[in-house]
Amino acid sequence: MKDKKHPVIVVGSGAGGAMAAYVLTQAGHRVLMLEAGRDYDPKTETPMFKTNGEAPLMGAGNVDKDFGFYDATVDGGWSVPGEPYTTGEGSDFLWWRARMLGGRTNHWGRYSLRFSEHDFKGKSRDGLGADWPIEYSDLAPWYDKTEYLVGVCGTNTGLDDMPDSSDGVLQPPPKPRVPELLIAAAAKKLGIPTAPMHRAVLTRAKDDRQACFYATPCGRGCSIGAAFQTTTSLIPMAKATGNLEVVTDAMVKNVTVDQHGKVTGVCYVDKKTKTETCLTANVVILAASACESARIMLNSKSKHHPSGLANSSGQLGRNIMDSTGTGLGAYIPALAGRPRYNEDGHTANHLFIPWWGHKAQEKGELDFPRGYHFEIGSGFGQPGSGVSSGLQGYGKALKQQVRDKYGSSVYLSLRGEMLPNEHCYMEIDDNVKDKWGIPVAKFHWKWSKHELNQVAHGLKTAKEILETMGATFDYPLPSAEKAILKGGQIIHEVGATRMGDSPKDSVTNQWGQTWDCDNLFVMDAGVFASNPHKNCTLTIMTLAMRNATWLSEQMNKGAL
Amino acid sequence: MTSKYQVKLSRRESLKWVGALSASTLIPNSVSALTIAAEKNTGKGHWPKLTLSPINAKGYGKDPNLLIPPKSPWPKTLTAEQLTLVAVLADIIVPREGTVPSGSEVGVPDVVDEWVSAPYTRQQHDRLTILSALTWIDDEAQLRFEQSFVNLTEQKRLQIIDDIAFEREDNDNAFMRIIPAFARFRSLVLAAFYSSPAGMKDIGYMGNVPIMGDYPGPTEEAMTHLAQVVKQLGLSL
Ligand SMILES: Cc1cc2nc3c(=O)[nH]c(=O)nc-3n(C[C@H](O)[C@H](O)[C@H](O)COP(=O)(O)OP(=O)(O)OC[C@H]3O[C@@H](n4cnc5c(N)ncnc54)[C@H](O)[C@@H]3O)c2cc1C
Ligand code: SF4
Repeated sequence: MKDKKHPVIVVGSGAGGAMAAYVLTQAGHRVLMLEAGRDYDPKTETPMFKTNGEAPLMGAGNVDKDFGFYDATVDGGWSVPGEPYTTGEGSDFLWWRARMLGGRTNHWGRYSLRFSEHDFKGKSRDGLGADWPIEYSDLAPWYDKTEYLVGVCGTNTGLDDMPDSSDGVLQPPPKPRVPELLIAAAAKKLGIPTAPMHRAVLTRAKDDRQACFYATPCGRGCSIGAAFQTTTSLIPMAKATGNLEVVTDAMVKNVTVDQHGKVTGVCYVDKKTKTETCLTANVVILAASACESARIMLNSKSKHHPSGLANSSGQLGRNIMDSTGTGLGAYIPALAGRPRYNEDGHTANHLFIPWWGHKAQEKGELDFPRGYHFEIGSGFGQPGSGVSSGLQGYGKALKQQVRDKYGSSVYLSLRGEMLPNEHCYMEIDDNVKDKWGIPVAKFHWKWSKHELNQVAHGLKTAKEILETMGATFDYPLPSAEKAILKGGQIIHEVGATRMGDSPKDSVTNQWGQTWDCDNLFVMDAGVFASNPHKNCTLTIMTLAMRNATWLSEQMNKGAL
Repeated sequence: MTSKYQVKLSRRESLKWVGALSASTLIPNSVSALTIAAEKNTGKGHWPKLTLSPINAKGYGKDPNLLIPPKSPWPKTLTAEQLTLVAVLADIIVPREGTVPSGSEVGVPDVVDEWVSAPYTRQQHDRLTILSALTWIDDEAQLRFEQSFVNLTEQKRLQIIDDIAFEREDNDNAFMRIIPAFARFRSLVLAAFYSSPAGMKDIGYMGNVPIMGDYPGPTEEAMTHLAQVVKQLGLSL
């Protein structure tokens, strides 16, 4: 492996990396994938039917397993032992990392919403942020292909915030449940639509993946392959071509260049032997996640690239965005003691509230640009460590309170679009190295009034919806400053290597190809020019599919 | 009623806690100095000052086996007496009702022990709260009745519990600290009970079973109820 030159090296096996590898190997190109985490097989490792009661601490989260004992995240989370990051003064930023084959696709929420034309051209409309160098129509056919391959359930709604998929692409969504229907009824009264959530979950069998059986939280992983993760779909499919080789426990340090500044390969630390290996390649694709790919590039300084690889624009590490996040929940008296039934469903939103305010924004009626959506938390979930608090008394009367309260609260989680600003960026911390000897990332973060006004609006709206359902609030809403979650906390970080139509103000072109090195590509969310409120991963995969297809053609033509 | 609580291996067996077997032989590291800073017999305003030795055990780590959870990642720390007290309290909070077992019957004390012995921040915080509450309850029993709580009659036990189990406007100042501490203990007991198989059944959780074909959605009964709710609220589906 050491001596031969690899046609393509892909760094990272998550959403972007696996899609790139899938497309290239299908097209007959040999690919070597380097993954920092350990090998991972959901088929044999997923605790699907285990109950919270069987887990240590009733499955409650902690520093070892942030989202609970059974969460699929391996060797990662908000902290990775031996792999710190730092933050600038006054900056709060949380960086989620998964160190495992498949990356975060093993445990993501699988919400998969298309960006629309509106989303790609925000700057043309309100002068803020940056336009994408592509149009919706450039991506639409690729969205179709990705949704079909990945397996997304949902419907075409005709809503202006939700572009339709072509016929036969989406799988049917599951029926909505009682609390979701009640929220829909309340929202309707306020003129706010609800729609089936689009989720990368199969409701019909596909390839060798089974249809969802409507039990078991998807965050644990899905050993039957119904919930999309690259480890049960793209990676095995790419391997089946015979063209994919995967090396796990391979922590990439930097990308190497020749005397002309052209990319020659990568160096990585083998975590098992703690030795460093450098490999040569014709093409390198970074898909280690937005900030990790930027970190690798910033750590790849050379004579030709003194401020980091492919950073002639100075934009590398800049323009980082997350989704905005906050939420409001309430006890709904009318749902107390309601009739029981199996409410697991596909264990996440069957309905959600898409952004409805484009028109009001056009008319200048809102004091913030860009939109948000609400995800719904509700239902007769499996009891765990948080099943009942805030109750009174003891004995039979107490138990009756528990039963009455069960399934009678709802929660609206806001996920909104953030605009890039000059205070949100990452650089390399010259003083700190991780345990592999690689200099770490340092994050700077500050919300602007756009995000704060948006969050304030969202809280007010959530309260109206909940009150319409009969909830009462005996406390004032928190201020937006207090209510907004930290940067990075929604885990939709994008933008550190953004694309554009000029090498002056962007790191890559529309194909994820860096302006400065034609054989270096970025195929994760780093290339996003904006971060629409719609969760980013479907678009990461769609871009990776489109751009890897283009790359394959370039290779076939001998252009690369 | 006052018999010693027997650790429920069945409940936690899958976890293979070594600590479960040796719980009663572990050196009690919780109560080192029981201070009753109050006048005898009135039981007013006391609060134990516990010096808890820090728990330095390791957690289960970032990559535990999820199918067969880790073997005894941290030792349990409650003494036999404390476990028995937790059992008695668990049964006051969740008494047996017909065929539905009580808190102690489904092993609530073991789960509480595991929780207060865990090396994570939230659990360590709860540990002080809960061990203080347990100590307070015994102190209160001594002050009021000159007996430990588990040796009291049901009626005397409830006299104490009635004072601390409700948050009211006119709560006696003397109970200001025990009321929230007891509340935290109560939610832990409820969680431990309702996450057990008997508890899940009692609360009416019907999921975690595979369904072939499409998700059927709400039952007719659930939809009828929803229709009523929607009407009452002046909404439409
Ligand atoms: C709990 C949770 C819920 C989420 N819900 C949603 C959702 O509902 N919808 C949505 O769209 N998104 C969601 N996301 C976000 C989504 O998971 C990410 O956007 C997506 O996985 C990013 O894909 P990626 O390929 O860029 O990175 P990842 O999936 O993180 O993959 C990157 C891979 O690269 C590897 N790597 C990193 N550094 C190196 C290195 N130096 N050398 C070699 N390999 C390296 C990592 O180990 C990892 O395996 C969620 C995330 C989390 C954590
Ligand atoms: S709910 Fe469905 S998709 Fe999710 S893990 Fe279970 S079977 Fe898989």
